[in-house]
Amino acid sequence: MFQYSFMQNAFIIAVLISVLCPVVGMFLVLRRYSMIGDTLAHSSLAGVAIGLMLGFNPIITAFVTTSIFGILIEILRTYYKKYAELILTVILSLSVGIAITIISSGHANANVETFLFGSILTVTRMDLWTVLALSLLSMTVIALFYNQLVFITFDEEGAKIAGVKVKRINYIFALLVAATISVSIQIVGVLVLSSLIALPTATALQLNKGFKVTLAFSILISMINIISGLLISYYMDAAPGGVTAILSVVTLLCVIAFQKFKGYNRQK
Amino acid sequence: MIEIQNLYFSYSNQSTYVLNDINITVNRGDYISVLGENGSGKSTLMKLILKLMTPSKGTLKNDFLRIGYVPQLFDNLNTQFPITVYELLECYRKTLKIKDKNCVAQSLEIVNMSAFKNALVGTLSGGQRQKVFIARAMIGHPDLLVLDEPSSGIDVNSQDEIYGLIKNININQKVTVISVEHNLKAAMDNSSHIYHLKNGSGHLCKPEDYIHDYVKSSTGGRVNVSI
Repeated sequence: MFQYSFMQNAFIIAVLISVLCPVVGMFLVLRRYSMIGDTLAHSSLAGVAIGLMLGFNPIITAFVTTSIFGILIEILRTYYKKYAELILTVILSLSVGIAITIISSGHANANVETFLFGSILTVTRMDLWTVLALSLLSMTVIALFYNQLVFITFDEEGAKIAGVKVKRINYIFALLVAATISVSIQIVGVLVLSSLIALPTATALQLNKGFKVTLAFSILISMINIISGLLISYYMDAAPGGVTAILSVVTLLCVIAFQKFKGYNRQK
Repeated sequence: MIEIQNLYFSYSNQSTYVLNDINITVNRGDYISVLGENGSGKSTLMKLILKLMTPSKGTLKNDFLRIGYVPQLFDNLNTQFPITVYELLECYRKTLKIKDKNCVAQSLEIVNMSAFKNALVGTLSGGQRQKVFIARAMIGHPDLLVLDEPSSGIDVNSQDEIYGLIKNININQKVTVISVEHNLKAAMDNSSHIYHLKNGSGHLCKPEDYIHDYVKSSTGGRVNVSI
């Protein structure tokens, strides 16, 4: 199957997003923001629709739109400190509203389903370069701000007192989430993208290890799930997003069962 | 030194002042316990000292170069957060751009927690966790240590150990301490001064004068405090 160029492109993108999604996902989950990831994933559909309507690269327009929505969430967070879920409803209404209006009016002249469910057939060389550039940029930013991000995630107030520019880093992080979502939507699809962001971390958290080990495990779990999801979906002729989401949940359940079994054996 | 003069503070959505005409000077080497009932303005005063907020009126001069902060224990800790003691302290060191890698080990030694460096923070007892936060605050040799109710949710034996550590840091390492307290006994035993806040106004006194000045006056002469 690797004789097909679309499969080569899809495979490289899958490897990239299997690193990027759990890294960004780890910070989102630990900050209890996994629903923000879900909301932004859905809001990226508005960007895709705008891109398809105007004839631009939908990955780029998804990145721009999701970034705007990510920053909007950060701004609204200062107005609704105790009602984070309310902000997500506002953003979801606006973004999905835009997407539905454009798609239903027939202005998005391409198959939107590709971005809803994910597809490996439509990945071009141009998409690969776009994803590669955004992924490398995101990983560089994470490497640069890694310690500040860990600090803010653990103790935001303590980070402020220590002189970390928390607001600035939160905005940078919103852009990172947007970049991660936009590079992933083509392969995984908007609908189940949050499973890729949250589930590897949810699984790795069950292992009760330190930060770096948990992060390494979530990358490993994500890599296994995405690559096997891609291969299975190729042979099943199904959308890779759905298969990957199912595999992610199965892996989580297996790890929970394994940990329970280990605990039970230890008690005996 | 911290010099607060005629300080007033109100939150943006409130018309009344939370802090009214606060005047206090904190000298180097002091150990000041801030006491007062809930809603008296203790936490607001602490946030102003930590530069998390700015006064509505008046001046607050703070010439301490590095502030170590110990948060209230059960307020914001996610016990499932996957981080080891060493990772937590190392992350703090790197964020502060402190080059001396040994300072993490030294801080753990100060609080007698070297043996727990690879333990997950969430698996530690309340007292051990508080010691880890004190170790984190001591990285980079702060000249001011601010603590938010350091004994809340901790058993009595651990409380004694923690106040022993704070006192040791204050005297032997010459670190100025400001501690927001609910623990009257600890404030009386360890502080050089007590700052009592009531309805947003405060007064500084010596621990030995505290009972006479405030507890008796606020209870009409009856003293009903368990120390």
